[in-house]
Amino acid sequence: MKSGVFIILDWGKVKFFLGEVGRNFTRNAGMQATAIGTVAVTVVLLGLFLFVRLTLAGVGDRLLKQIEISVYFHTNATPAQENHLRAVLRADQRVASFTFVPKAEGLKQLRRQTQGSIDVSMLTQNPLPDKFRVRVSDPSQVSAVAEELRAEPGVANVIYGKTIVGRLLQLGVVLRRVSIALIVALLFVAAIIISNTIRLTVFARRREIAIMQLVGATATYVRMPFVCEGLLHGLLGSLVALVILGIGKAALWAKLALALPWLELNATHVAMLPIALQLLLVGIAIGGLSSWFSIGRYLRT
Amino acid sequence: MISIRNVSLTYPNGVRALDNVTLEIAKGDFLFLVGSSGTGKSSLLRLLYHDAIPSHGEIVVDGIRVDKLRGARVASLRRHLGVIFQDFKLLNDKTVWENVAFAMHVTGAHTREIERQVPRTLDLVGLAHKSRMFPSELSGGEQQRTAIARAIVNNPKLLLCDEPTGNLDPENTTEIMDLLLRINTKGTTVVVATHNQSVVDRMRKRVVRLEDGRIFTDEERGFYYLGLGQGQVLSG
Repeated sequence: MKSGVFIILDWGKVKFFLGEVGRNFTRNAGMQATAIGTVAVTVVLLGLFLFVRLTLAGVGDRLLKQIEISVYFHTNATPAQENHLRAVLRADQRVASFTFVPKAEGLKQLRRQTQGSIDVSMLTQNPLPDKFRVRVSDPSQVSAVAEELRAEPGVANVIYGKTIVGRLLQLGVVLRRVSIALIVALLFVAAIIISNTIRLTVFARRREIAIMQLVGATATYVRMPFVCEGLLHGLLGSLVALVILGIGKAALWAKLALALPWLELNATHVAMLPIALQLLLVGIAIGGLSSWFSIGRYLRT
Repeated sequence: MISIRNVSLTYPNGVRALDNVTLEIAKGDFLFLVGSSGTGKSSLLRLLYHDAIPSHGEIVVDGIRVDKLRGARVASLRRHLGVIFQDFKLLNDKTVWENVAFAMHVTGAHTREIERQVPRTLDLVGLAHKSRMFPSELSGGEQQRTAIARAIVNNPKLLLCDEPTGNLDPENTTEIMDLLLRINTKGTTVVVATHNQSVVDRMRKRVVRLEDGRIFTDEERGFYYLGLGQGQVLSG
């Protein structure tokens, strides 16, 4: 007796295999619809969720990018100290850009900003200090940069949206954690529902499986049609979901952006194609894996 | 061909199906396993195609330690032996042809080979003209002949039959037994578990009687009851 399994593919065999998959797939329309529907609902939820997350993260990032550090000098600071700070800022990799605002310029700005409410023309001398406005490329570095600048000679005070930065950064972290937890939960629930659906089809065909094994089918051979069926559920389900998401976005996005202008909803920074492909892959993976596992317990040898 | 040495089988529910059974079956033998229901006939067959694993002892089929097989090697074993049952175990949504071809597809046989071998086998069992029919359109005897065709299509060295005529009338029973005999004369070892006395007594082959999971008698050219021909009554 020869052990091991050698399968040489020929067209007749491919036809037989596809026939088996097709036969199973068309046999119980209700069950198939349930499985496909479950994948579709899961992928729609996942898609919505990913989109909301990316949008929120985008909004947060944009707010963080606008955060500025203002570095005020003592009124008696020397030009040498100011030049020293300029050199420090130029050398610091974390600093994206900076501008020097001399006190005369500061006064002009103040005059512009407070036009009417405060009469600056009454001032006999300029009470404002010179300052630097600094932007940092990585928002999480804002605090560190600000605290280092505070220690430089001639610097009187450093002001930045400390609480805002902290909250936005924290929001980002929370958002990431919550979204990972939700995605895991969602996939878990979907896998359970789909594997139960497939378990029903497997149960309906347990006699057939027993006979296949009786005539010498390997576990892989028995499993393959079911896994293909699962992959097909995943593919069709996520395609349905993508169509729903696409229609939803086309119909609702513009209205949403108009209704919430302060959020500056801007979908263009979210690349749609990679998300669509990811969702498709996730759907196919749920379908394939859950059927792989749900048939496992009928394959004892 | 088959060597069963000191084999015991206890099911998980505690029932002891076989108790220290030792049995040798030669290549080309035709052997009846008899005994009342629940004495271990089916269990013994199940051990041979690895549908059950002995709790003790060893089983060698065609040089292979069956009790040690796992996974793909079990599948490989089953391709080299045929099994038929009282309830036929056919796939009802496949035609006769497809049911038989199925056993070859599973082995990875080439389509050309399948198309050559299936008609030949259906011819042998006398079902060539019904190859396009479904099991539900066949008589019991024809269904069993389909099952036999499926069992022998891969040219097994061993054919195991668990009550093959249990659901058949006398006429079909005779046909099926003649078919098994023909398969046996072509060199296949055949083991038949049955409690059909007339079949056993008419064919005069080796008869092994099991009682309570042990071998009770084992005789060449035996009868269903030890030393008694058909028509004679066992008294007491």
